Amino acid sequence: MTAGRLARLEQAFRVACGELGHCAAAWLFVREVAEALGDAGVEGLRDELGRSYPVLDAVARRWFEGHRAPHVQPEGVVAACAGAARVLVVGLEAAHLDALVPLLPPDVRLGLVRSGSLEADWERVLANFGGRVEGADLGDFQRWAGARSALLTFAYGVHDGQAHVSPAWVRVSGPDVRAQFRALIAWDVLRAPTYVHPRWLVAVPLEDFSHVVGP
Amino acid sequence: MPPHDHHHHGRKGPPRKGPPRHHHHVPSSAITAFVDRPRIDALLAPWVPDAADRAFVVRCILGEGPAHHRGANFVLLALLGLLVEREGRAPGADPASVAVPLRLPPHLAEAREEEDAYPLAMPTRPIERLAARGTREFEAMVDCLTDGPPQHALANAAMLALLDALLAGDPPRGPER
Repeated sequence: MTAGRLARLEQAFRVACGELGHCAAAWLFVREVAEALGDAGVEGLRDELGRSYPVLDAVARRWFEGHRAPHVQPEGVVAACAGAARVLVVGLEAAHLDALVPLLPPDVRLGLVRSGSLEADWERVLANFGGRVEGADLGDFQRWAGARSALLTFAYGVHDGQAHVSPAWVRVSGPDVRAQFRALIAWDVLRAPTYVHPRWLVAVPLEDFSHVVGP
Repeated sequence: MPPHDHHHHGRKGPPRKGPPRHHHHVPSSAITAFVDRPRIDALLAPWVPDAADRAFVVRCILGEGPAHHRGANFVLLALLGLLVEREGRAPGADPASVAVPLRLPPHLAEAREEEDAYPLAMPTRPIERLAARGTREFEAMVDCLTDGPPQHALANAAMLALLDALLAGDPPRGPER
């Protein structure tokens, strides 16, 4: 893969990370590159972008281990959300949300905190859910709090008593907020530890969550 | 080191009179070790029958806030639970229970149609022994018990529930002064 092509690919990949999520973007790019250039292309993609995008690095490794798609099983999250009237999502993983949203009862309000490490057009992100998911901001997301409310985030590997999550989770899950939501849910979307230092993410103890789904 | 020498901190003279002072804080892991969540979960089941609701309440009482509150909440609730068990008192619902509200930032709470509350209500019958219902004094006591962070307010509500069970068998009485 030439330097020019990679530079263009990185720009596109960065936008995809912002608007689809690191895991969804990584699987999309790994599969597309594999289709166009085979395993050698995936190896090149990993070599060039893996250090900057650790989730992409981990997904490429999963590819070489024989996995061909992200692990998306929302049933455990649906169970953790049982009884919730509101579910507020912190962080973004489009493939996982696409699978989860239709399984939640229609009277459950769904929200997405418009905060991420990468720039995103949140209007475009929310439009993908056809009005089913509402936007919430860091300044007022506690409007979603309640005894029938759940706070959900995505974890990128769960191991050694820790989960790597979006920094937005740390902004949101302060001591005041923790007691305002009935369920604090981590959904492991990567199913593997990252091999390189997971920049973009932050490690938090598993005790931060009332439910850890996936490992 | 001679016995009790650690209480003196180099102080000369005869040993201090009265109970030994407790100077040393235990590590928080020692608190984590004795806080038995399933025990309190089982204790609160009559008041919060839904398991997920109860898990939320127990987390707020024993899993959030400073470690010393978690530990103190466990000790006091477990001891009250022992008393309820020893006295053979059956927990009963207090029709005059009050909601323990979620404390949201005021500007966000105002924007909501209705106030949300935790799934454990606080019985108020025991408070009648201290102040007549409907008085300013009674209302102030209820307010004190349900205010503050949830590790206080919910622990207070749980303790009132257990106290209500303990006192329920006694004839109703007015303020005892």
